[in-house]
Amino acid sequence: MLLDNDAFLTHLNRLFTQSKGGGSLFITMKRCNVLIIIDMSIDDGRTKPTPRTRKQVTEPHPSAENSCLFRATLGSQKISTVVHQKDMNRFNQAYSNLLKANIDGLKKRDKRVKAPAPKPVRSKAEKG
Amino acid sequence: MTNFNSWEEFAKAAEVLYLVDPLKYRHVDRKLSIKVTDNHIVLKYVTDMAQDVKKMEKFVSLLMRHMCSKEK
Repeated sequence: MLLDNDAFLTHLNRLFTQSKGGGSLFITMKRCNVLIIIDMSIDDGRTKPTPRTRKQVTEPHPSAENSCLFRATLGSQKISTVVHQKDMNRFNQAYSNLLKANIDGLKKRDKRVKAPAPKPVRSKAEKG
Repeated sequence: MTNFNSWEEFAKAAEVLYLVDPLKYRHVDRKLSIKVTDNHIVLKYVTDMAQDVKKMEKFVSLLMRHMCSKEK
């Protein structure tokens, strides 16, 4: 379901919490044009996408602005949102914080690649 | 299908390609994988380290800005 940005973030947080119990969480982002969004945001009970005319495919609409479509899936639950240019900064901040806060189940340091331990600097005279 | 071992290589290649990127997180396996594809070429990076989260998050923000920018 298409949500607005804030609702999406809240929901995504919930999905992250659920994913702790198992399952994978997918987050997909892709560029999309505002034309498609207009069709999606009108809730007229349409279940199929409106077919794009050839003209739209070949030449982008002059007033179309680039925006970013986000989808998140956990099992059968799907949410999505569209981020416009003007909301980008705010969303970016919130989204980054959310990722950093939630992806915490990873190793703190790689065991395989050992960082060289800082050696105490000794002068040759000390070694004798 | 290209699997990367170093984040830097991956990020460079992905920025050239960027189109779609699914981000997959499995808390149970303690793994995070990120994939960038244009339906012909697939670039993947799988990690289990916390230090990559920050890099990944920076990279995702970069892509977001790319996508919203005016130029094609």
